[in-house]
Amino acid sequence: MAKKVLLVDDSTTTLMMEEMILKQRTNYECVTAKDGMDAISRAVVEAPDLVLMDVVMPRMNGFEACKRMRTEKSLSKTPIILVTTRGEEEYVEAGFQSGCNDYITKPINGFELVTLLQSYLGE
Amino acid sequence: MSDSPVKCERKHSAQTLGDQAKVYAARMRLQNAVDQADALDAVREIAGNLIGTEEIAVFKIDKKRSELWLYWSFGVDPSKHSVLEVRREPKLKQVLNGKPVFRLRLSGESLLSTDDPVNALIPVLVDGCPCAVIVLFRLFPHKVGIEPVDREICEVLSNCAGRAIEPYLAR
Repeated sequence: MAKKVLLVDDSTTTLMMEEMILKQRTNYECVTAKDGMDAISRAVVEAPDLVLMDVVMPRMNGFEACKRMRTEKSLSKTPIILVTTRGEEEYVEAGFQSGCNDYITKPINGFELVTLLQSYLGE
Repeated sequence: MSDSPVKCERKHSAQTLGDQAKVYAARMRLQNAVDQADALDAVREIAGNLIGTEEIAVFKIDKKRSELWLYWSFGVDPSKHSVLEVRREPKLKQVLNGKPVFRLRLSGESLLSTDDPVNALIPVLVDGCPCAVIVLFRLFPHKVGIEPVDREICEVLSNCAGRAIEPYLAR
């Protein structure tokens, strides 16, 4: 069965790009959400194998959504990768404190994205 | 230790696909913009998510082509960049001829005489003629400069961002 990835971003441009890369380079199934709140409800229903989530989003940001996902029993161990615009230590630390497993910086590099996801989900 | 040929090939292939995905997403986002505000939002999204800058401005070219007036901006102080005079900015002459200008990597030279570093000047073409210029200021700190794929995305901006400037082009 194909692994399922939940892509979360308020930018349709980013979602389109991520989906295109993953569909061409992997056999993962992609589902999408537009903000942190939407992501939590989608994650509970879809039970993804991994969440790739932007940090800066309306309604609920990625840090908060990550924290809340960790309180859901079904999502407590799901790998969460945050997409940040900054690679600075403080910012990354805030991500890990919210419960994420990893992070990737914008603009996303196709090879790095595929390699990182495969390190959690396999090929 | 260097990567094996197979790994190099896979890396190159994934990289190429990633670049193609960025260019495709940029074009689709701009072409599907529903109105002028959405088109400007698309410009911001493309600059921030695909190129790597959250400091952008759009300048409209006046009829005499001697000045450019700030039309819209994001992440920059508008009071510092209200007008650009073509006679004071030699790089703008090339842009007014429809050619983008990029700051060379590792070069300290900014493209405009402002305190803020300018990394790209992109003409926005409508019917083949520049009607505005998109200015990309400071890139994200981890980005080394404008890369080949960024130039391709800028070409998309040049050819498809007209509806962000001219409302009559909106769908």
